[in-house]
Amino acid sequence: MKTSETRFKGMRDLPSAHLLGTGTAMCAGCGGLEVLHEIYDILGKKTVFVNAAGCMTLLSIYPFTPFRGSWIYTAMASAPAGAQGVRDALDTLKRKERMKPADDLKVVCLTGDGSAYGMGLSSTSAAIDRGLDFLYICYDNEGYGNTGQQFSAATPHGARTSTSMGPRGFPGSKKDLFSIWAANSPAYAATVAGAEPLDLARKIEKADTAKGPRLILALSPCPVGWGYDPKDSVEIGKLAVKTGIWPLKEYIDGKVVHTKIPKKRLPVEEYLKRQGRFAHLFEPVRKDDILKEIQAGVDAYWEGVEG
Amino acid sequence: MKRRLLTGNAAAAWGARLADVDYIPAFPITPQTEIIETIAGWTDSGEMDASMVTMESEHSMITAAGTAAATGVRVFTATSSQGLLYAMEMLYTVAGWRAPFVLVNVSRALAAPVTLEPDHNDVLAARDSGFLQLHCSTCQEVLDGVLLAYRIAEDSRVRLPMIVNLDGFYLSFTREPVEVPTAKEAKAFLPPFDSKGMSFRASSPISQAVAVLGGGPYSYFRYETHLAALNALTVFDEAAEDFSKIFGRSYGSVESYRTEDAKYLFVMMGSFATKAREAVDRLRDEGWPIGLLRPRLVRPFPAEAIARLASGKEAVAVIDQNLSLGKGGVLFTEVSSVLYGQPGAPVMLSFIGGLGGRDISPEEFFEIAGVAKHAAKEGKAPPPRLLYTEDELKEVRKLQMIANVERGELEDEDE
Amino acid sequence: MYRIRFHGRGGQGMKTASRILGTAFFIEAFEVQDAPIYGAERRGAPVFAYVRAGREAINERGAITNPDLVVVADDTLVPVPAAGVLRGVTENTVLIINSVEEPETWRERLNLTGPVVTMPGVKVGDAQEVRFTGVVSAAAAAAVTGVISKTSFEAAIREEIAPLGEAVVDENLKRGVEAFDLTVKNGVSIKEGSTVSAAAYKRPEWIELGFESAAISAPAIHSAATSERMKTGLWRTVRPVIDYDRCNRCWWLCSTFCPDGAISVNKEGFPEIDYEHCKGCMICMAQCPPHAISAEAEHGRKEGGDEA
Repeated sequence: MKTSETRFKGMRDLPSAHLLGTGTAMCAGCGGLEVLHEIYDILGKKTVFVNAAGCMTLLSIYPFTPFRGSWIYTAMASAPAGAQGVRDALDTLKRKERMKPADDLKVVCLTGDGSAYGMGLSSTSAAIDRGLDFLYICYDNEGYGNTGQQFSAATPHGARTSTSMGPRGFPGSKKDLFSIWAANSPAYAATVAGAEPLDLARKIEKADTAKGPRLILALSPCPVGWGYDPKDSVEIGKLAVKTGIWPLKEYIDGKVVHTKIPKKRLPVEEYLKRQGRFAHLFEPVRKDDILKEIQAGVDAYWEGVEG
Repeated sequence: MKRRLLTGNAAAAWGARLADVDYIPAFPITPQTEIIETIAGWTDSGEMDASMVTMESEHSMITAAGTAAATGVRVFTATSSQGLLYAMEMLYTVAGWRAPFVLVNVSRALAAPVTLEPDHNDVLAARDSGFLQLHCSTCQEVLDGVLLAYRIAEDSRVRLPMIVNLDGFYLSFTREPVEVPTAKEAKAFLPPFDSKGMSFRASSPISQAVAVLGGGPYSYFRYETHLAALNALTVFDEAAEDFSKIFGRSYGSVESYRTEDAKYLFVMMGSFATKAREAVDRLRDEGWPIGLLRPRLVRPFPAEAIARLASGKEAVAVIDQNLSLGKGGVLFTEVSSVLYGQPGAPVMLSFIGGLGGRDISPEEFFEIAGVAKHAAKEGKAPPPRLLYTEDELKEVRKLQMIANVERGELEDEDE
Repeated sequence: MYRIRFHGRGGQGMKTASRILGTAFFIEAFEVQDAPIYGAERRGAPVFAYVRAGREAINERGAITNPDLVVVADDTLVPVPAAGVLRGVTENTVLIINSVEEPETWRERLNLTGPVVTMPGVKVGDAQEVRFTGVVSAAAAAAVTGVISKTSFEAAIREEIAPLGEAVVDENLKRGVEAFDLTVKNGVSIKEGSTVSAAAYKRPEWIELGFESAAISAPAIHSAATSERMKTGLWRTVRPVIDYDRCNRCWWLCSTFCPDGAISVNKEGFPEIDYEHCKGCMICMAQCPPHAISAEAEHGRKEGGDEA
């Protein structure tokens, strides 16, 4: 889809009315909720969300739901399998003419990074294998946020979490979930950030019109888990993009395309120093080796893109 | 209706076909695989108008079965043993959704050590999940049981998933004559699926399976699910009566064989119970007042029927083909809890047999009868006994020698 | 046995308060229970913590329904039914409240017959003070028990705050001791409460729970957006206020970024904040291009419209 074909030509084309109900139990300033409400505005209410265990388990607490369409909670490991059951059942009902076509729904998986990068990956992989027609949204807050931010396979190198409290933070590196998807020929895959709503809207629009397995990997800054004031959630998201730490890209027609290449990337420090989870890289003594490692990783990535 | 030779697995597949199911999420595991292979053949050839999908695990399979049922289609699935355990989280979960569908479990003993032959520890691990359980002792009962299970699971007084259980090898791969109803006859018993409002539709938003906060709402939802499971006792009886009218085969929640004038009872479940039935006949030939009780329903537990049938007997020998490690036989515990404190409660005896497919011989049944008679006379039960012979231990000793097990310890025992 | 309940919001240190008080009692050779109670809600939502302390082993467990002392670290919680601040409060219960208003005002407003005192030594409504709410709450509670010495209280602070480093311990000690002394001057004290009598008690009204079909009794919500009944505006300690003279009706940035969808755009293109649901994250203020949104403390606000 070319820019000229999108209905989101500028910021003023973004929805000014919102679909997701207020009053959820998500934290004040939740980056994941911000992304979800931006996405939901575009997908619309003819959707059924199949939710995995994570922060958003608690979107619906009896008798309160923020959804204007439908929702079902499954488990941490098997939300894509739940999506399979719903999709297949709806298709069967249509085929057997036991349901009005107008009653059909789009099937959406909603999982955190704990599920998407870890426990749910087998189920996700199999849904891709089967060519399941579904949209998979991962709100990536880079740790097991709902249990108090322990490290997950999505935690970035050097970040302090409640299970990586050592002086060097998390020793591992963030798994490249986008590439895992892209390597398996999905119908569409994209990274988004709530702080970049126009880019996000265009990607959701594309994802919504494709058929097959589709990934939306959404950076979801977490004030509680990452250690910053809730008002900075958007700023942190913008810095993730401007420093090149969170590349905005999409996999479409067999190719990976970057949708927003920062002209002059800010040093990663600008992003890191705003967050408590990286404070140990600056105080009491600056850990230049780790900072350099992180910067080098980002530089190497973009050399690959621009090179 | 046509009589033909079918394995238990094929009978289960026929049950699904005659139930006119819409959707089959599947995953292969021995000794269940033949069920999904048979169904795959029919969906490929168009003999069954259903969609089948092979999932990547039983956990996912039960998830998909649950969400499909929650969307409003009739769902069938099957597994066995380790697969049932791998799905365990979702068994509890989808029952809590109140998603009705039928799961055939082909019983196979659990690891470790891994084995292929049957006992009932797999299905009993799901005992408290909210899935109802129907246990079969013949291939005919497997086919009939699947049809009955849909009637019960989908009844608005119940609306819970149901397991139809058959023993690996002894039923799964064993051919027996089975009356196969016509599609028309089956339809007369089991009407087309009505999800009764359980669905996802664009025109009626719903949030299903939501969380609760606090013990008050949680207790309500759990206890209502329990009450629904208990309702299945009545619904089973009604469905069985209809079934009998249409097909001429009668099923009670408990099979009661020659119990009326009996002083002693065997209690067993599953296919090995036909061995007990045979033993009852031979013992009766010798003048023994003995009978057999076989719970078909294990959840809900037919407590009233068992109390009625077993009260006033002198001794009841429960032969468990399972073992709750650190406690003993599960069925023994269940039956004892029903009879304890009742007027005319019999002396209760516990035997463990048939673990991992270990056979139970006619002689062992006769001997159990003798022990029961003695216990009744003494008014006191002996300790629980594992059915195990000296020859069997000798065989194991040979294996241990080859396995190079610490020789000193074996020799000590031989002294 | 002493039964003490702390009420605050997630992030206001109520767990810390209960732990300092629990440790202080423990140092004084009491048997102790302390625990926080969490709901599903997160930072900013009402939470509470409790302490039981007695001379004998404690068999009671769980939430305290008959408190001898209730400490309220945030007075905006008092009118919130979900916070349960007044649960089980009788004429024998002491209420310590963090408020700019006079104790007598609260006594009259809440129709209380027991003693009410304001929490000393903490500047109400100052965002910087939040980090001391925990220690000051613990200090006030410790002082009114009359059985915890200042030495034991200081030792408890040291023990509980130690992981945060010496500088934090020192600050907390200073603020804690100050609040302890001020409370002692107030002269209010609590007494140990009694237990429920097995001879004269109110019989539980048990019912026979009957079967209800799954159409009713499955955990499903047959409606849309019912969450809007949850007034999450109550979480807010600071509110964003739009200066419409400065708002340039950009492109509803504030509305797009608001995680909760609590900012809508009216026909004229002006954003409007739904204070019943705004959690006060202040992203809108941080992102507003012409800086048309400012922060106002919720403390001392009188007008309604933001409470359920």
